Amino acid sequence: MTTVMIQEARARVTVGIFADMPDAVAAAPDRESAEAALAFLTEMSPDLRGAAILGPEGEVLAATGEEPERWREDAAALFAAADGAEEAEVEQVHIATEQGEVFAIRNSGLAAVTVTDRFALASLMLFDMRSTLRRLADAG
Amino acid sequence: MPAKPHRILLDRVSVYADEAAAFMRRRRISRRPFARLYYPHGRSADHAQDSNSGAELFVAAGRLIEVAGPKEKG
Repeated sequence: MTTVMIQEARARVTVGIFADMPDAVAAAPDRESAEAALAFLTEMSPDLRGAAILGPEGEVLAATGEEPERWREDAAALFAAADGAEEAEVEQVHIATEQGEVFAIRNSGLAAVTVTDRFALASLMLFDMRSTLRRLADAG
Repeated sequence: MPAKPHRILLDRVSVYADEAAAFMRRRRISRRPFARLYYPHGRSADHAQDSNSGAELFVAAGRLIEVAGPKEKG
């Protein structure tokens, strides 16, 4: 019974916290900030092979490699497949394949997609991505 | 003659390291591909590779892995 009460109290408090947080950023951060955030994410994650940060409309704000347009298309396809799986908008995606792992996350009106080596620590990777997006949104 | 305290500590650490190494080895050998989606409020769902939704997710993931390319050395 005590546990239930604590959980209820926690839910009430948490709802309050999230109500104060904006769902979407007022304006998309500039590309320079996004590139700095991406460089920081790359620096923090030794398993990372490539990544992209996407704006509110799905546009690429920063990406590794020479093909930002492909990142936009493929990230959009991933989110479309993920949202279509249960007809609900996903918050995070983690797909592990033999060739590598893909993580995607939506936060603060922005999105990030990363590709890592196999067996990357998922919780750490998603935490880094989430905090990167949050910082970027706060700065923007 | 009883073992010296630092020996006991070293042995204990070695046992934990061996356990961790064995766990990682088993994980590498036994882990299968998976697609996991996380929704608001902490709900998550796994999608099998042979399901329709799972197949789409794996195709999309494959394209992203391709665009990321191999890891840069250094």
